[in-house]
Amino acid sequence: MLAQGLISWWYVDGYKLFVNKLWTKLGDTIDLFSIGSLIKTLFAPYRQIAANETGTSIDDKLLAFVDRLVSRLVGSVARIGIILAGIVVILIQFLGSILSLVIWPLIPFSPILFIVLAVMGVTL
Amino acid sequence: MNEFKYNSTRAKYARLGHLLNSPVIFALLWLLILVPPIFGILLLIQKNSLGWLFFIVTVFALMTLVIIKLLFLRVPLGKTDDITDILSSNVISIMNKDPTPKEFAPKLMETRSGRFLALRFGLVPRLLAGVASDLPDDMTPVFENARKIAKEINAPQISGGILAVAIIITHPNHEEILARMRLSVSDLKEGIIWYNYLHGLVKDSKKKRRDGGIARDFTFGFTPLLSRYGLNLSANRSLTMKTQLFRSEHKEAIAQMTEIFSNAGRQNVALIGPDGCGRSTVVNAFAEQLLDANSKIPNNLKYRQIIKLDAAALIGGTSGQGDIERLVSSLLNEAYSAKNIILYLNNAHLFFETSVGSVDISNMLTPVLEAGNLRMILSLDEQRFLEISSRKPNLTNALNKIMINPSNESETMKVMEDQIPGLEWKYHVTYTYWALKEAYRLGDRYIKDVEMPGRAIRVLEDAARYAKDGLVFGESVQEAIEKTQGIKLQAATSTEESRDRLLNLEQLIHERMIDQEPAVHAVSDALRRAAAGVRNENKPIGTYLFLGPTGVGKTELAKALSQVYFNGESEIIRIDMNEYVESSDVNRLIAEGATDAMSLTAQVQKHPFSVVLLDEIEKASPQVLTTLLQMLDEGILRDTKNHEVSFRDAIVICTSNAGADKIRERIDSGNYESLKNEITNFLIESREFKPEFLNRFDEICLFKPLSKDDLMRITDLLIKGVNKTLAPQKIEVALEDDAKMLLIDAGYDPMLGARPMKRVVSKTVENIVAKASLRSEIKSGDVLKITADQIKQELGNE
Repeated sequence: MLAQGLISWWYVDGYKLFVNKLWTKLGDTIDLFSIGSLIKTLFAPYRQIAANETGTSIDDKLLAFVDRLVSRLVGSVARIGIILAGIVVILIQFLGSILSLVIWPLIPFSPILFIVLAVMGVTL
Repeated sequence: MNEFKYNSTRAKYARLGHLLNSPVIFALLWLLILVPPIFGILLLIQKNSLGWLFFIVTVFALMTLVIIKLLFLRVPLGKTDDITDILSSNVISIMNKDPTPKEFAPKLMETRSGRFLALRFGLVPRLLAGVASDLPDDMTPVFENARKIAKEINAPQISGGILAVAIIITHPNHEEILARMRLSVSDLKEGIIWYNYLHGLVKDSKKKRRDGGIARDFTFGFTPLLSRYGLNLSANRSLTMKTQLFRSEHKEAIAQMTEIFSNAGRQNVALIGPDGCGRSTVVNAFAEQLLDANSKIPNNLKYRQIIKLDAAALIGGTSGQGDIERLVSSLLNEAYSAKNIILYLNNAHLFFETSVGSVDISNMLTPVLEAGNLRMILSLDEQRFLEISSRKPNLTNALNKIMINPSNESETMKVMEDQIPGLEWKYHVTYTYWALKEAYRLGDRYIKDVEMPGRAIRVLEDAARYAKDGLVFGESVQEAIEKTQGIKLQAATSTEESRDRLLNLEQLIHERMIDQEPAVHAVSDALRRAAAGVRNENKPIGTYLFLGPTGVGKTELAKALSQVYFNGESEIIRIDMNEYVESSDVNRLIAEGATDAMSLTAQVQKHPFSVVLLDEIEKASPQVLTTLLQMLDEGILRDTKNHEVSFRDAIVICTSNAGADKIRERIDSGNYESLKNEITNFLIESREFKPEFLNRFDEICLFKPLSKDDLMRITDLLIKGVNKTLAPQKIEVALEDDAKMLLIDAGYDPMLGARPMKRVVSKTVENIVAKASLRSEIKSGDVLKITADQIKQELGNE
């Protein structure tokens, strides 16, 4: 009776709980890389402070323009780098989660598999 | 429905969880998960297929661990209304098959909520077992009551704490039992809500907070200067605990701030409210909300950061006004250019004044505030705001004002309950619920410089120093108030000695003054009422008008009171009202302590637990008397700066010679009460006092002229005083009756009463002792007998 209850929990409530945990962790990673906001601001100036125009002369305007251009360039490179790294990490985590979801239901049956492998004499 | 099913699956899981929840078991399981695969792999490498069998151990250990952690230790609630389905898992894990309330009660201490109530409310196992029934059938009413409580407080399950309260309230005399512990059923329910709230906070703190990730600040500028001179509230927020808002007013303030900062218009907010009302809490909560990825705020506010500027830091980092202005200009530019900064000027008046610790940069800030481009939050108290408004109307007109008012009792209790974990961590103590209630009650009464909830929190902090065995009780709070405010709250009835003293006050007072029974009774009764806590706390302990001729003991009674009940004669605040005869003297009487330390209000502010003696009150101007009306009526007087000064722990005694002749004439001719009425009417008719003034006193006491008998006893008291002075030299004096009569004849004056007696005694008796001592006629241990002749001779020398 107890074993039956535990097996039933493993495949129903336990599985739901496991899916929730994986989903939350994936969400945390997506938030960490904030890819959405990186894409939205891909060519925005990067952490620059003196980009506001300080004078009205052509020189000042040109300087501010160049300053901002460089800042945007640096920003886009940094953002693209983080976006790529984020995509890789998120993808790996996603695939790992899928694999875990496949393995979870198989775990209770795995002892049978190990016995079969032992009986068949499979070794490394 | 209320029958506990011991063999249900839920109960079995919970019991297994209780059994297996041990570090040893978990260590063993981790060992079985990690070690067998190593052996298995080694065997497989050695071409031995039995190595696979080791993995079976690992799989079972892993499944066991997962099942214990995710199922047995957090057994979900059942799906029915059955009691077994709604009891919390840690309760059912400790329940026997057929429990009786008496057996079950002590076990509740094994649950966290049960221990919480035991510690903070005193619901200890002994008490619970004492009130619980030992019949198994009596579990039904306990469960029924537990259901009702859970429903009332919206608790999703029945915890150990709820059952503890249910056991108490199932007892027919529960109200009496709780009253003895200074508690009520609603306090206990509040306790469960408090526990559930803290439990929720702990659970929330385990969740990871999403705050925009690594790219959050990429588009915003660097702020090196602001980092140096300001404090980034957003970066300093707690990563685990969120600032909780319990007051709808605070929530509304945040909604208003969100609206102001997200829409077009002047991008500034002025939070105006008294100190201690939670202005900083609002700003902290707003900072957290801005950084919360899940909060529902407009995108143009998301991930903005609040930097607090401190006037002292600006002054310390510069040399001179010009330097400060340059620095502030750079800071404002930096904040504007960074695009994600909201500047916060706490105690903003410090930026608009030129006194010590402040810097006037209003000329720079006013155009910025008027333009409204840079987001700013200013926080200041109402009075300062009014002062600045009158000096710099342009500045205050440019502000979007949000008023924050002090919290009420239930809000303050919630704020304290929220702050308790932090305070306990800081001071290494545990606060009882009674301590919280006392902190509110006494903070409200005695702390005047900040508002609620700041008052109560300050009292709790002070009380931590008076914890006993790490626990802060109501007494600890009272002690803290006594020590910090110079008042007496708990000692009055706490010991046998002090109780005796209160019961025998009249006797003690008569040790230093003679007769005047009605007045002595009146003040003694007032003190007993105050000590027993049955007086009106919104008035002074007692207000008395002592009427009678000079030298009959009016002032002496005030001094005797101060010595017997308050902390000695020094706790008497004596004001000669003949110095307040002009209407303009009112200002001097109620001058602010900083400008006149000897004003009535200043002295009472410093020594609230005192006898306030207003001598010769009839000589004060009518305006002065009118000013005193509120003090007599409500125990409150406002000084010239409108600060409230409490007289509620003082005894106010006014003395007057008005009607003295009439008292002298009539005191022996009739009934005391009718004479009192007659004298009162006489004082009103003769316009000595207005009826509204006389009506404010608790009692008008008539002091009768002293008889020869009284004077004889006074002489004895004075000789006793001389002997007290001589005690260090171990010399005593004794007077013959004839000698005493001579002193009385020489010292008594019908107009001045016994007052000249003191002088006569000191001149004659002390002179005789001095001479005898110089002639070596007396030595230590001697009793010097003074005869009538010696007195006569001494009087003749005068």
